[in-house]
Amino acid sequence: MEILTSWIANSPANDLALALLGNVPGSPPILQTIHLLGIVAIMASALMIDLRILGLAVPTQEIQEMAQRLRYWAIGGLVGAFSSGIWFVLARPSRYFNNPVFQIKFALLVPALLCSYWIFHIAIRKPDFWVTHFWRAKLLAVSSLLLWIGVVLAGRWIAYAEYLFWPA
Amino acid sequence: MLNDLWLWLEMLPIAGEIGATWWFPFMESLHVLSLAIMLGAILMLDLRVLGWAALRYPISTLNRELVPWSAAAFLVANVTGLAMFITRASHHVENPAFQIKMLLLLLAGVNIAYFHFRVMRTVSQWDSNTRAPLAARLAAVSSLLLWIGVTLAGRWVGHIV
Repeated sequence: MEILTSWIANSPANDLALALLGNVPGSPPILQTIHLLGIVAIMASALMIDLRILGLAVPTQEIQEMAQRLRYWAIGGLVGAFSSGIWFVLARPSRYFNNPVFQIKFALLVPALLCSYWIFHIAIRKPDFWVTHFWRAKLLAVSSLLLWIGVVLAGRWIAYAEYLFWPA
Repeated sequence: MLNDLWLWLEMLPIAGEIGATWWFPFMESLHVLSLAIMLGAILMLDLRVLGWAALRYPISTLNRELVPWSAAAFLVANVTGLAMFITRASHHVENPAFQIKMLLLLLAGVNIAYFHFRVMRTVSQWDSNTRAPLAARLAAVSSLLLWIGVTLAGRWVGHIV
């Protein structure tokens, strides 16, 4: 972690990120808005399928069809979120890598990604899974839902680490 | 005179409690989560109306299934937003980003009313069309632009001190 932090801090990417965020007017809120729109795309795809599996939303839509239609939105959302968020990490790596909330966010993000990947994969290849493995299906969907909500909440809390871990 | 209202809100015990504790970050993160869900639902409907996505579904079906989510999420966003607003009400009303956000929010509301009470009246005639009539598509584009604007302005509020 220390090595990664100092490697980034001394790299040209760090200079570029600082130049971008410091000099281009409005770039922090604009990049954060892009980050948020990426999250919106993930909500409207990965989260929506979870809600559909749980029978809580869009009952007229078929899970397999949803997965096929929405998977590129989910991927696009992830790409958007990653490519907008990375500038902040590149600009001030120690602020993030040493922040326990940032670590929590990524500790939730990895299983969230795995869950959603699994769900999309099953939805497309084994569309009757939701019927044949009723409880496993619900468990998978609930896990994905909670993990993604956790990622979003943790993401916003990064800036408020002092509230959780006082004194930081 | 209005200034007294803002100050009164700030003096409320609950405003002090939220502003001084972890309640503020909690309200803000719920605000972000609810608006992400709201925008997701709105995005889906707007893209369908524009004929860009989910073409197999009638517009009225998507409307019926998605609007409750966007409405409920909007409610949560309002409550959490208010909770944050009261902590520094008199300061926020003077923040140009906040003012712009409120204006765009109002316009977005007008647009929603226009869409639901005027445009959607004739929906049975174009429900399964790949593209809705021009008025509907204009409302959909406006919706997208206005809500992205609200989001950007909202994010900017915290960047103006």
